[in-house]
Amino acid sequence: MSKLASLAAAALTALALPASGRPLTYSWPTNVGPLNPHLYAPNQMFAQASVYEPLVTYRPDGSVGPWLATAWTVSDDGRIYEFSLRPGVTFSDGAPFDAAAVKANFDAILANRPRHAWLDLARQIARTEVVGPLTFRLVLKEPHEPTLKELSLPRPFRFVSPAAMGEGGTTAGGIRAPVGTGPWRLVETRLGVSDTFAVNPTYWGGTPAFERLVVKVIPDPNTRAIALQTGEVDLVYGAAGQIPSEAFLRLRDQAPAFSAAVSAPLATRVLALNSARFPTDDRAVRLAINRAVDKDTLVRTVLDGIEPRADFLFAPTVPYADIGLTPHGFDRAAAERLLAEAGWVRGSDGVRAKAGRPLSVELAFVGTNAQQKAIAEVIQADLARVGIAVRLVGEEESAILARQKDGRFGLIFGETWGPPYDPASFVSAMRTPSHADYQAQSGLPDKPAIDATIAAALAAPDPGERRRLYAHLLSTLHEAAVYLPISHAVAIEVHRSTIAGVGFGATLNEIPFAAMRPAGIGAGR
Amino acid sequence: MLRFVAARLALIPPMLLGVSLLVFLVLRLGAGDPALDYLRLSQVPPTDAALADARAMLGLDRPLAVQYLDWLWRALRGDFGLSYATRRPVLPELLGYLPATLELAGTALAVSLALSLPLGAWAAGHRGGWQDRLVRGIAVLGVSLPNFWVAFLLVVVFSVGLGWLPPLGRGTVLHLVMPALAICLMSLSVNARLLRASMLEAAGSRHVLYARLRGLPEGAVMRRHVVRNALVPVVTATGMHVGELLGGALVVETIFAWPGVGRYAVSAIYDRDYPVIQCFTLVMTVVFVLCNLAVDIAYAWLDPRIRLGREAA
Repeated sequence: MSKLASLAAAALTALALPASGRPLTYSWPTNVGPLNPHLYAPNQMFAQASVYEPLVTYRPDGSVGPWLATAWTVSDDGRIYEFSLRPGVTFSDGAPFDAAAVKANFDAILANRPRHAWLDLARQIARTEVVGPLTFRLVLKEPHEPTLKELSLPRPFRFVSPAAMGEGGTTAGGIRAPVGTGPWRLVETRLGVSDTFAVNPTYWGGTPAFERLVVKVIPDPNTRAIALQTGEVDLVYGAAGQIPSEAFLRLRDQAPAFSAAVSAPLATRVLALNSARFPTDDRAVRLAINRAVDKDTLVRTVLDGIEPRADFLFAPTVPYADIGLTPHGFDRAAAERLLAEAGWVRGSDGVRAKAGRPLSVELAFVGTNAQQKAIAEVIQADLARVGIAVRLVGEEESAILARQKDGRFGLIFGETWGPPYDPASFVSAMRTPSHADYQAQSGLPDKPAIDATIAAALAAPDPGERRRLYAHLLSTLHEAAVYLPISHAVAIEVHRSTIAGVGFGATLNEIPFAAMRPAGIGAGR
Repeated sequence: MLRFVAARLALIPPMLLGVSLLVFLVLRLGAGDPALDYLRLSQVPPTDAALADARAMLGLDRPLAVQYLDWLWRALRGDFGLSYATRRPVLPELLGYLPATLELAGTALAVSLALSLPLGAWAAGHRGGWQDRLVRGIAVLGVSLPNFWVAFLLVVVFSVGLGWLPPLGRGTVLHLVMPALAICLMSLSVNARLLRASMLEAAGSRHVLYARLRGLPEGAVMRRHVVRNALVPVVTATGMHVGELLGGALVVETIFAWPGVGRYAVSAIYDRDYPVIQCFTLVMTVVFVLCNLAVDIAYAWLDPRIRLGREAA
């Protein structure tokens, strides 16, 4: 069987296009790191995802498909997952990818469990078993519906050759070499200059059209735009901040030398409204804030129209999120009415007050983030028109994180985590006090019920029941107006006409380099 | 002279000790938590458990005195710890980036001197003429334009527009042109103005008048009596400019994706990467002390009235 599969793989390789001698050039703000699949910074996720592969893959429609596992079964109680592994897969050092290798990786990951405790699945795994040469079993303490999605993440549940692991089969202290099963191998790192990847000749999925991928270290977004324009790099791909939005628009207008595209909504930029603090503890105030901000103008001006307006915490394209709610649309008169009915009376300075306390809130943003600053200023102006005073607090990113964590905010910027974390992992985190979401919701009288609904949705094995629980949860949060959704974060992509086959992956961190090819060479791998 | 140099060099270790303690304390007095920055870089939500784990990993869970003494003990043996952000040993990484910065700052210094001295002398020689006004105009522009702005302007003109120079990276002489020009503009302008002023001052002094009266040829008067005296303030300024050139490199390296220590330090500051900031400060202290020493030695050579060390007594 495995012989047959390797024959098939060889045939696939032979059928693949003649590899191009010219490298594909991309850029990233830092070096990609040592590429330990089981650790975090300084390892860069896009690079980890290019070298290492998951058991299952997250697809754009929100479903999970086979990858290194070709099939799996889940026990009726939702606790036991059994995976059939893809035959004929080898690591780039020639070692076979089998159940023993999978178990060795899980053991290494779980030996460092506290590092991964932020991820529910890392806490839920009770044990792992080698059932057969190509059969692997994962046993959980409790049923955990997002298991497969969390297995698809760029880290930590991906696989390095056991021979490349560190001392005693661990990876927490480092690995010997970045040896994975993926389409690319890291072959050279020049500090501060570049990282070079070469194709993995034994890759089971067919060899990429480019022989090499060179990732240049370019920290500045303006420089990155210039590098693309002058041909130093072929491709800009990633979160919208990769290049300034003016540069994106300018390059988009330079077709056909450049092609530019914007992905479907990935995540949602929101302001969290603190229901546990005066004056946002008043639902009328939170609703009025939602109705008083002219998001269309904000999106068109500050965001250059690149990101679409957001009406809800999750875009309707997110699994379980298309539940037909009515947006709290922009209506200044309605906002005024809400505030007046709740007893907030305008003073001579234009600011409303109730019982002698002015309607004044604090909006915290990352001071070095020009976009957040501009959005904050627009919101300040919009809210002033309905009698809400906004004090802007610009601080360093880690100081803002600290505020999110301990609830020291009236309004604060946040973002959903995007696929594949949305909605399951994201709502799961709403139950932990160190998240802005928990803090924002902590003043709601039904917060315990909200947390119970989240727990039930995460555990529900039946999709219909899950759908019902998510609908209940999302409509509760929407009615409570603890968020001001602003826009949907998107990925952007600009490439030179010299390359083709550029498309968006299902998540921000999976860049489909392997599908890209020199322009003029047909597709059809 | 040798004793003077030795005495100055002997001051370096206690100075480094003082600087290390000062930097260590100042960093920790500031708001913010490196563990939080580590989690931000890791894109891991900062739960209390994750923070505790990150603090333990970075060694931040120990008392401050223990942290400092442990750091000092290792530093004495050349081990400056691991960078919080890159998880590599700090000193080799920093020394790996240093040559690129020295190359850039050295080139900028050479360009600055090579251009500012003739310009200053030219302006002084045509006092009040269009040459003088031109040089003064250039100098005003040079000190007024922020170097990062000049950097982008150069890139737009010479890389995007004309396609003559590579917009980023290090390698050939062509790669050096724009970053070196961007950071040397300030020092070039200051030096040109300074030399012009001090040459005019020296040329008007009595000993120059007397030299002329003695019938010395004009070239000798200029060389031995005007230029040599006029160079003293320029040397002082140049000593200070080395710091400025290195500081300019911090910003400009980011724009040109120049793999230097400045860019490394800037991201270390942003990420609260304490071990890197501590080591960087120490290395820069040594660089500055050595530059000042070089300036002092140059003084003695230029002006025989200045004697170093014991001889001055």
